Order: sequence, then structure tokens, then C-alpha cells
Amino acid sequence: MKTRHVLFFVLPALALYSLFVVYPLLDSLTLSFYSWKGVGPKVFVGLKNFKEMFFGSFSKEVFNAFFHNIYFFVVTSALELGLGFLIAFLLASKLRGTKIFRTVVYMPNMIPLVIVGFMWNLFLNPQIGLVNNFLKLVGLKSLARPWLGDPSTAFLSIILVNTWRHLGFYVLVILAAILNIPPDLIEAAYIDGANNRKIASKIVFPLVLPTFRTLLILLFIGSFNVFDMVYAMTGVQAGPFRKTDVLGTVFYRTAFGGLGSAYTDMGLGAAVTVFIFTIVMPLSILYVFLVERRERAW
Amino acid sequence: MRKLVVLMAILLCVVALAGEVNIWSWRSQDAEVWKQVEQELRKMGKDIKINFTAFAPTEYDAKIAVALQTGTGPDIVYSRRLPGGRTQTMIENGLYLPIDEYVDFSNFSETILKSVTFQGKRYGVPFAVQVVGIFYNKEYFDRFKLKEPETWDELVEIAKTLKKNGITPFFVPGKEAWALTMQHAMCGVSVLGPEWIKKLTDGETDFLDPKFTDLNRRLNELKVYYQDGFLANSTTDMDAAFAFGQAAMVFYGIWGYQNWKNLNPDIEVGYFMVPPLTKDQKPYAYVYMDGAITLTSNVKNLKDSIEVLKFCATPKFGTIFANITYNIPAVSGAEIPKIPLLEEIVDVYLNHASPYVYWVGSVFVTQKPSLYDDVLSPGMQEMYAGKITPEELSRRAQEAISQWYEPLKKRLGK
Repeated sequence: MKTRHVLFFVLPALALYSLFVVYPLLDSLTLSFYSWKGVGPKVFVGLKNFKEMFFGSFSKEVFNAFFHNIYFFVVTSALELGLGFLIAFLLASKLRGTKIFRTVVYMPNMIPLVIVGFMWNLFLNPQIGLVNNFLKLVGLKSLARPWLGDPSTAFLSIILVNTWRHLGFYVLVILAAILNIPPDLIEAAYIDGANNRKIASKIVFPLVLPTFRTLLILLFIGSFNVFDMVYAMTGVQAGPFRKTDVLGTVFYRTAFGGLGSAYTDMGLGAAVTVFIFTIVMPLSILYVFLVERRERAW
Repeated sequence: MRKLVVLMAILLCVVALAGEVNIWSWRSQDAEVWKQVEQELRKMGKDIKINFTAFAPTEYDAKIAVALQTGTGPDIVYSRRLPGGRTQTMIENGLYLPIDEYVDFSNFSETILKSVTFQGKRYGVPFAVQVVGIFYNKEYFDRFKLKEPETWDELVEIAKTLKKNGITPFFVPGKEAWALTMQHAMCGVSVLGPEWIKKLTDGETDFLDPKFTDLNRRLNELKVYYQDGFLANSTTDMDAAFAFGQAAMVFYGIWGYQNWKNLNPDIEVGYFMVPPLTKDQKPYAYVYMDGAITLTSNVKNLKDSIEVLKFCATPKFGTIFANITYNIPAVSGAEIPKIPLLEEIVDVYLNHASPYVYWVGSVFVTQKPSLYDDVLSPGMQEMYAGKITPEELSRRAQEAISQWYEPLKKRLGK
């Protein structure tokens, strides 16, 4: 009787989850063993797609994107967590205007991504863009450049815009972790003569470290699933000459084609998603494990 | 009053009962065309409601492939030209239907019909012919007393004069790699010439020919006359910049004209083919068939869809199409707007189209690695960014195409 009740409540969610998560996942996995142009019969090719992806001429494109994903993760993590902690610490210290600043810092998160892409494409425009014109105004003309067209700055520009957009979320999560620290601990440290820097490094930072761990895993998963920001900023071609390419854009071009797509095959595209999945899945399990352990500890 | 109410009710019933035809396309600029087609059909006593939907060009092909296979596609779609892998696959899988028995193709030339013919059957009504080349702002040419160039060196001289006078000579949308490939291709037909491209196609020469590298070098040297930071600019930036006089020339296609005029009705645009190296060489233009209006296997309203397709094959459709889009209609006998630019473009299409090409419509883009997607698109950006030399670009083309193109393989003894 008890099991039947449990089933009654679990089944609807399970059915939806199976339909929208498990089934597409298994379907992608199956498709990765086929060659399919999106139309007509699927041809079973065994491991050919994976061979092409890791050892064939397609591997150059895939690994180029893979290393960009890693670079994205490293730089994004340093910026989001570093700046996030700094701003959260300042907000927690209840200076004047923190309430307004808390709203301001979260605002970019509420702007739809398409608008973010459009807006920053304008800001970074080499001729009429706000960024270059500002640099010229303050006498730093030599720093002005075609941000999204220069191979040395294009990807970093995307990472910085991504940081600008998501920083508010990390600030709020870290701020919540800081506010969870018992005030007695901090007060006692002050009484013992600790300054703000010491409190930040010796008390606050170690106590928010578990939150950092969780956020780091989320950042890793996000970095390997990144697509929208690159798509909005440099398009599906991930230019200039694939300097902003990530696995998400490789998948999109491969599966759905479009102008300038060198390889187009749904099966090969599915193999790319399987590759992304195998990278992200272990970390997702670890994330669930960590969250559950923290919940149990509370 | 009662009569009026009854009349209105009848009219409403007629409109409600009118057959609907759904059309999907990648060309959002054609929406107005279909409104006028609907009106024309109504004048002819055919109550057909046309629902036109446009999708982003990058997503369009995948969208129709999925929709047609799942039975959720429209009656009619815009299809890409033949020969081409995508359209051929759609035909082979029965998703596009032949229309020979319904449509009179007598208003189309055989050359144009080749782009919709597969195994002797015609799949769609061709809608436009595209002509690419250099478009220029006439005001600047008049102001500095410049004449359309007859040689490449004269083109460089024009760019020099403009730059000296503070005008950006060229606006190049370097962020969009396809536009750079198109630039290379339109220069190729004049600078290298159709004879050279024929030799390349026949395997009598190859990409390491100094002439090909020389063209790469000339393009690379021309970049000093492009706008600052051109590798970060899109075609949208280009449209605005050219329409509002921020640059004097663009390497583009006639399809841009509609947009430039919409943005700035006062702009006076001229056109010339990319000039060859010497005066004794004839200039050529890159001309290609854009696509076709095709009946799908998902057609729900066959009778009315055929009426629409029949109309698309008439000069009247061509006239509507040309007047709204300023594109050259594929159908003969259409009245082109009396605009000198369009008249010149039609003349170029009829008399100066290069018979041999290496971009859209050529054999070099039919397999992987393709000259378009794998070599010139990334390669031109890399060359312009200073990451590779003109020689390296030629070497890459040779290496890529010799992997699969039999005449080149044979030439290299592979």
C-alpha cells in the first residue's frame, strides 16, 4: 500500500523525466552510431563517428573547441568566484548603498540573452562601439581594437560578457553563505583584534569554501554546455576562424548545418553530444552527492 | 443596410473558406511579395490565403527537414539550388515533389532550369538570379571625379584617392566568413578569368599556380583600404555603414540593394564587375541561381498550391518580385523597375556571367573538405588577420581539394 502511494506521486514526474531527459539521451546515444543527414534512412556506422571525432580530420575542430571549453571554465571560474567573493564580502559588511548595489549587480542576469548579445555586439563594435569610443575619450586609443574580430581578444571578450551577465548569481549565492556564518565568530575575531583582511581570509573564506566547491562544479557543467553566449556574440561560425568555438557550437554546426559548416551529419553531431555528456555526467553526479551531503549535515 | 450586412457576411464566409497555402522561406524580405501575389490571385478569382513564414537562414534547412519528415511542414518551401547535397537528399527521400505536369516552364531558360532539375524532373520554380560584384556610392565617385575602374591597379588607385580624402574606400564584413569567400570568388572570375577556372576544373592547373597565390596576395594587400577592425563587422554593420555613406564601396550582391534603399532612400548606388589585371582582359561577374519555390510532400492544399506555383512561373510574378526585392527574377519577360542599377545588373547577368566559377554552383563545394567551408571561409579570415600567408592559403586549397577531386588527384599523380 505504501509503495503504491509512493509510485502514485513519483510516476508523473518520472514519466516526464523519462520522456524529456532519458529518452532524448538514449536516442542521442543510439544516433551516434549512425550516419544520418537529417533526412532519409539512417546508416549504421558503428564507432566511425567517434573515430572521426577523436582521430579523423574532424578531431582538429573538436579538440580546438574542447580546449576552448577548458579555457572558458578556468577563466570564468576565476572571475566569477573571485569577483563574486569580493563583492559578496563588501555587501555583507553592510556599507551604505549595499541594497541598491545588490540589485544592480544582479540586473544583467535578468536581461534576455539575445538582448545581451545584441547589446554587447554594439558596445564592442570597432567603429561605433561604446568600449572603443570610451578608450579613445580617456586617451587610451592604442587599446581600442576590433574585440570580436581580433583572434587574441574575441574569446576573452565573450568570457567577460558572460561574467558580467552571471556575476550577480554568484554574488548572491556567496553572500547567502557569508550571511550564514554565525555573527559571534566574526565579532569574537574583531574583539581579538583581527582586521577585515584577516577575517576575510581566515574566517569567511574557509567557511564559504563548501559553497565554492558546489559553484565550481556548476561552473564546470555550465562551461561545457556553453553555447548561447558564443552563438549570440560570434554566431554559429564561432569566428574569427573558430577562435571562439566551443563544443556546443561544433555540435550545432555539425547537426544542423548552416552557412560555412564543414561537417554536417546528425550522427556525428550526436557523437559530439555524447562526448559532452561523458565529460559533464561524472561532475553532475558529484554535485548531487555534495549537495545531498550538505543537506544531511544541516 | 440589410443588404450590406448580408454582403459582408457572404464576403466573410468567402474569406473564411478561402484555401490556405503555407510557405516557408529563409528570405524574410519576401513577405511583401506574397501579400501582393495573394492580391493578384484574388483579382484572378482565386481565393487563396498565403501564410508566409521566414526562418533564420542558419536554421532553415534543419527546420524544414524535421518538419517535412514529421508531417508538420508547409505546402511550399523555398529550396536551395541544385546541384547540392541538401536538396538532392530531400528529393531522393520524396520530400520535394516534381511539378512538371502542373507548371509551364516556357518562361525560363535551360540554364536556369538546370538548377531545379534532377533526373529529368523539375523540382520547383526558380525565383531569383543573384549577381555579385562591387557596389559603390555614386556621390563619392562624382565628388572625387572617379571613374569605374578597368583594371585592378585602377581599383587600388581609386581606393588610394578615397582614403587620402578621408573616406573609407571599402567596408568589408570580415566577421562573416562566407562574405570573404564570396569576395575571393567574385575577384577570381575577373582576375583569374573563366579560362583559368576551367583549366582548374579540368585538372590542367591547380591551386599552387602562381596566379591563384597572386590573387590571394592582391586581396591581402587591399585590406589597408578596408575599415578599421573589419574582421569584427557583420553584414548588418556593412548595410548601415554603406547606406549612410561611411564607406564608398562594398563587395556584395544585388540582394543588398533593397536594404540600402530602405535604410537611406537617397543613396545612389552604382555597380561594376571586379576589374581584371589588364585592359585587354574581359571583366566577368559571378552570377548564380539562388533557389526555387518547391512543392512538398506535406502539401495539404494541392489545388491551391499548384495555382500559386503556376503564378510563380509567370512574368507577372517576376515583376512583383523585382519591384519589391530589387532582385533579378529568374523568370523571363518580367518588368524590371526602371532603375539604372538594375538595368545594368540585368545586362551583366545576360552578357558578362562567368561560365566557370569556384564558389556556389561549382564542383569544388560539393564534397568535403570543401573549398568554400573548409578552405576559403576560415582561410581568408586567417590571412586577413595575418596568421597565414597568401602562399599558405593556396597550399591549404591544394591539400584539401586534392583529397577527393579526381582531376586534381590525377594531375598530382595521387
